[in-house]
Amino acid sequence: MMEQQVNTETALQNIQRLTDNIETVIKGKRNQIKFVLTALLAKGHILMEDNPGTGKTVMAKTLAQSISGNNDSQSVNFKRIQFTPDLLPMDLIGTHIFDDVKKEFIFKKGPLFCNVLLADEINRASPKVQSALLECMAENQITMGEVTYKLDNLFFTIATQNPVEMEGTYPLPAAQLDRFFIKIIFGYVDEETELDIYKNYLGINNNLNNIHQVLGINQILFLQQQSENVFVHEEIIKAVRNIVWATRRHQDILLGGSTRSGITFLKCLKAYALVNGRTYVIEDDVNDLCQPVLDHRLIYRNKDAKANALAGIRNAEIDRLSKLKISN
Amino acid sequence: MKIEKLHSAKKIAAQLLLLILPACAIGAYMLWHINQYYSVLNNQWVKHTIYLAAGLITGSIFYNFRFRFISTFIPLILLLLIISKIIRIVFTGEFSAFYASTNFFIFFFLFIAGWLIGWGFARLRYFPIILSAVLLAIQIIVVSKTTDITTQKLIIAFAPVLVFALYIIYTAELVRNMNDDEPAFAWFIGRKLIGFALVASLLLILIFSFFNKEFKAIEKEFGGQGKQQKEENKESLTKENKDGTISNKKDMGMSGGRKSSKRLVFIAKLDNYFPGTETPNPLYFTYDYYTKFDTLTQTLETDSLMPSNDLFQPDPSKIPLYFTQTDSSVLVKAKGNLKRKIVTTEVYKALLSPKEFLAPSTAFFCQPIAVEKEYKQQFKTAYRAKMYVSDLNSAYFIYNPAGNETLENFQQQRFEELRKVTSWNNEDRNFMNYYTFIPKGDSYDSIRALAQQLTKDAATPIDKMIAIRNFFLSKDEDGQPLFKYTDNPGIPGLPSANKLTYFLFENRKGYCAYYAGATLFLLRALGIPARVATGFLTVDRSDKNKGWYWFYEDQAHAWVQAYFPGYGWMDFDTTVPSTEQQQSPAPDGTPPITVQSAQFVSFGKVLNVDTTKKRVEMQVNKMIFHDKVFELKEPVKLDMDVSIATINKDTGSVPLSELKNGMEITALSFSEQIKNIIPVDSNSSQEIFSKIPKPAPIDEITILDTEKEKQQKKEIKKEKEPFSLLGLLWISLAIIGGVILLILSTPWLIYRWYRFKALQHSNSKRKAYWSYTSAMYLLNQLGFSRDNLSPLQFAKEDIDPRFKTNLSTFIQAYLKSKYSSEPLTSSEDNIVTGFYPSFDRLVKSQIPFKQRFNKFLNFYRTINYFIKPKI
Repeated sequence: MMEQQVNTETALQNIQRLTDNIETVIKGKRNQIKFVLTALLAKGHILMEDNPGTGKTVMAKTLAQSISGNNDSQSVNFKRIQFTPDLLPMDLIGTHIFDDVKKEFIFKKGPLFCNVLLADEINRASPKVQSALLECMAENQITMGEVTYKLDNLFFTIATQNPVEMEGTYPLPAAQLDRFFIKIIFGYVDEETELDIYKNYLGINNNLNNIHQVLGINQILFLQQQSENVFVHEEIIKAVRNIVWATRRHQDILLGGSTRSGITFLKCLKAYALVNGRTYVIEDDVNDLCQPVLDHRLIYRNKDAKANALAGIRNAEIDRLSKLKISN
Repeated sequence: MKIEKLHSAKKIAAQLLLLILPACAIGAYMLWHINQYYSVLNNQWVKHTIYLAAGLITGSIFYNFRFRFISTFIPLILLLLIISKIIRIVFTGEFSAFYASTNFFIFFFLFIAGWLIGWGFARLRYFPIILSAVLLAIQIIVVSKTTDITTQKLIIAFAPVLVFALYIIYTAELVRNMNDDEPAFAWFIGRKLIGFALVASLLLILIFSFFNKEFKAIEKEFGGQGKQQKEENKESLTKENKDGTISNKKDMGMSGGRKSSKRLVFIAKLDNYFPGTETPNPLYFTYDYYTKFDTLTQTLETDSLMPSNDLFQPDPSKIPLYFTQTDSSVLVKAKGNLKRKIVTTEVYKALLSPKEFLAPSTAFFCQPIAVEKEYKQQFKTAYRAKMYVSDLNSAYFIYNPAGNETLENFQQQRFEELRKVTSWNNEDRNFMNYYTFIPKGDSYDSIRALAQQLTKDAATPIDKMIAIRNFFLSKDEDGQPLFKYTDNPGIPGLPSANKLTYFLFENRKGYCAYYAGATLFLLRALGIPARVATGFLTVDRSDKNKGWYWFYEDQAHAWVQAYFPGYGWMDFDTTVPSTEQQQSPAPDGTPPITVQSAQFVSFGKVLNVDTTKKRVEMQVNKMIFHDKVFELKEPVKLDMDVSIATINKDTGSVPLSELKNGMEITALSFSEQIKNIIPVDSNSSQEIFSKIPKPAPIDEITILDTEKEKQQKKEIKKEKEPFSLLGLLWISLAIIGGVILLILSTPWLIYRWYRFKALQHSNSKRKAYWSYTSAMYLLNQLGFSRDNLSPLQFAKEDIDPRFKTNLSTFIQAYLKSKYSSEPLTSSEDNIVTGFYPSFDRLVKSQIPFKQRFNKFLNFYRTINYFIKPKI
C-alpha cells in the first residue's frame, strides 16, 4: 500500500516534470500536451490534424528530446518521416541490400525502428505506405519476408495530417485510423500567446535546441504501467459502454464505435486521469476525451452530424453521470 | 399569391394529435356534461362533439397557413349566417324549420367555437392558458346550475378539466419548441401520445370505478340505454329517479306527452262519492300548477308567488311515521266554501318516489302511514291526505257517462249549479289579473277571436266552457274528429303561443299539454280565471273495489282548472281520447290492502314492559285521535295490551323483549273499539283517555331513534348535504387557486427539500451529494444553465468567476467522493462540510430578491432540470 502510494506520487511528479519541460517550448498548448502524454501513457499513438505551421512537428521533437534513451546521455531514438505521394513502404521499414563482403543480402533497418516516430503529413502518402505502418503501430513489430523484427519497448507515433479537404491527400483508411488512440486538432494559440511567441521566437528556438532530458525511457515505461492501476468506477465504465452503444444506434452515424474503441477509450481515460494528477477517473475525463478518442473512428451521414451527433451523445451521458447518486 | 404554410406538415400533425385531439376529447366530455343540465341540447352530445371537432380541425389547419384572421373569420361568419337564412326560407311553414334552425344554430355556435380554438392553437402562444381558464369558467357555470351537488359530482366535473388544463399548457409549449427535423420525431410524438393516453385512461378508469353507481344512475336518467328509451323519456311527464322511483318532472314543465309504458306508479283509495250515492266520484291527482306565462320564453311556468297559493307540497319521506303535517296557509287560502267537504285519500306508492306528494286539489294534510307487511314488496311507502273537495268537482267532465244515469244526472246538476256563476266582479283584482293574464300580440289575437266565436251563443261561464269542450270534440265536414290525439305532434318542447295557434288552426294534433295550453288561453281570453294543473288522471276501471284507483305511467297528465267564485277550482279536461292506441284498461289488481286507519296514535316513553302478560305501560306526551292532534301538558300513563302488536324498529320488526324502559315509542291502534268512539270537538284529552278501554288494544309499536342515534343519523345526513351555491363557487375557486399555487410553488418546495437534505446530512459523502444537487438545482432555477458543459467546467468557467465562490473546488472534492475508491482527505472533508451554507448565502446575496422570486416561479426551468437532454 505504502509502496503504491510512493509510486503514485513519483509518477505524478514525473508527469508534471515532463509537462513543464515541454511547455518551455510549446506555449499555450497545455491541453494538447496532455492529450499527447495521454496517448503516450496509454501505449497508443496520436494523430494531430491541422494546417501546416501550427507547431505539430515541434511538439513531437520536444517530446522525443525530453526523454533520455537507454544510455542516459542521449535522448531516445527520434525519427521523422515526411510522407509524400511517391514514398514506398520500404522507405519506412527498410530494405535488403547485398553485402559485398558477406556475399549475402542483409536487412537495412528503415526509420520505423525508433522510439518516437514523427510521421509528418501522413495522409499525403499512398494507402500502401499507410498500411505499412499498421503492424508496427498495433503489435510493436515489423515482419519482413520471413523474419519478424521486434521494435523497442517504447514505440510512440506522432502522426500529423493536413485537413482532408486539402489537395493531394489520401484519406486514411478506417483500420489505420483505429490504430490512433487519440486524434486532436492542434489549433492556433490565442492572441496573447501568439504575441509572446513572436517576441521570444529566438529564445524558444534556443530552448528547443537545449531541451533537457527529464525522464528516462524506463520511467516512461513505469508510468505506462502506473496508468493501468488508475481506478475506474463502474459507473464510468457503464458510461463508456453507453456512449459506444449510442454511437451505433444513432441515426446520423453510419459506422459506430467498435468494442476495441471502447477499450481504447478506457485506456485513455486512465492515462488522462494520471496526466491530470489523479488516481481515479471522473466524469470530466469522459467529457474531455470523448471527442478526441471516438470522433475519428466514426463515419457520419453528413457534416451537420459530424458537428453535433457525438457531442449530443456525450452531453446526454455527462448529464446522466452528473445527476447520479452513488452511494457506497 | 401562394399562401405558404406557417409550420411544417409534421408540426401540424403534431398539433392535431397532441393539442386538437385532446381538446376534442375534453369538448366531448364537457358537452356530455352540459347535456345533463340543458334539455335544449336534446342529449345529442356525440353529434355536437362532431360539430366542435370539425371547427377545431379545420380552424387549426386553416390558420397554419398564413391566412389573416379577421379577413377570413368575418366571411366565414357571413357565410354561415347566409346559410341559416336560406334554411329559414327553404323550410318555411314546416315544423322541421324549428328543428333545422335550432340545430343549425347549435352547429353554428359549436363550429365557430371550435374554429376559434383552432386558430388560438395555431397562432397564439398563451392560448392554452386562456382556453383552460375559459373551460373552467364554463364548468363552474354548468355546475352551479345543479341543485344537488356532492363532492363526487364536483370531482367528476372538475378533475378532467383541470387535468386537461395542465396537460395542454405543458404540451402546447412542448409542441411549440420541438424540433421537427429531429430523426426520432415520430417516436417523440408517439411517446407523448402514449403517455397522454395512459394518464387519461388511468384517470377515466379511476373515475369510473369510483363513481360507477353514479354514472349508471345518470345514464338511466338521461336515457343512455338506446334511442328508443331516449325518445320516450323526452316525451314523458314523469322522470325516473336514480333509485328507479318516479317523480313528476318539475324542471321540464309540460315538455312531454304520455308514455305508453304500463308500469304502476301508485294506487289510491279516495273516499269521494256522489252525494247520497255509493257511486265513486274520481278526482284528478294534482302535483303542481302552471300559472304564469313567461312572455320572454313563451312558456308556462310554475310560480310560488301565485295569488291564493293553495298548493300543498310536503315531503312525506321527511315526516315520521304517523306524524302529521298540516298546511295552515292552504286552510286559509282555499277558495270556495259552497258544497265543500273534506275528503280523505290514501296513497300507496309503487314506483312513485317516497318524496313525492300527490293528492286531489286543495290538500292540506299529510300523514305517512305504515304498509301491511305482505304488501311491502309492492308498495314501499304510503300516506294519508285530506283535502277540501267540492261536490261539483269530478274527473267526469268529458268522459262519456255511457248511459250511467247517476253520472248523467250529476253532470246536469253540476252544470245547473255552476250556471249560477255569471261574473267575477267580487273577486280580488290582483287574483283576476293574474289568472286571466294573456299577452298582447298578433298571435294571441287569433286565439281571442276563436274564443269569442266559439262562445258567442253561450251566456254563462260554464256554458262557454262546454262550448270550448264541444269544439275540441267536434267533427269536421267528413265526419272525422276535428282534433286528434297524438304523442308525437312533431313539435319539441313546451307549446308556445305560436305553436298553439298552429295546433288550434292547422295541425290539430297533440297530447294533453297542447289541449291544456290551448284551453288555458281560450278561457283566459274570455276572462275566465284558469290555470294548468299537472299530475295524474284518474280512471275508474274497477267495479269490485269501489273508491280504489290504479295509476299507471301513461296516466301522467295535464289539464286545466277554472275558477268559479264560491265553488273554487274545477277540473276541466279538454284532451280528446286517443284514437290511435285504444287504451285497453290495465286490469286493476285485486283489493290490495285492508285499510286500517289508525284512529289512535300515541307518542311517549316506555315505563314498564311485562313480556309474560304482554302488557306495556307508557307515558303519553302527544296523541292523535281521529286525526286530531293533542299535545298533553301533563303526561298520562297508558296501559296497553300488546298481545297482537308488532314491534318495529327502523325497517324490521323485533321481539317484545327489545322494548326497554325509557325508550321513545309510537303506539297505534286500528281497533274497532277505539274507532267507534266518535270524538266531539270540545272533547279534551282527559275525556278521550277516559273513553279508551283499559288496557288499550295496540296493534303496532314503533321504537323511535334515541337522541344518540338521531345524532348519528343527522351526522351521516349532514355529510351528504349539498353545498350552497356560493359555497360551491368558493370551493371551486379554492381548488383552482390551490392547484395553481401548488404548481407555482413546486420549484421552491423542491429547492427547500434539497436544502434541507444538504444541511441535514453529516456523512461527508452524502452531504457532498446533496450539497452538490442543491447547488446545481439552485443555479438552474436562477437561470444559470449548464448547457453542454460538465458540472466542473460550468463551475470553473461560469459560476466561480461570476459569484466569487469555490464551487469548482467543492465539485472536485465531490467527484473524488463519487468516483474514487479512496476516502477524502481531511482537507477535502473540510471543503465539503463548509461549502453549502456559505455558497447558498453568497449566490443569493448577489441576486436581488425580486429576480429570485420571478425565477422561482418559472416551472419550465424545473422541468428542464429533470428531463434528460435529447441525443
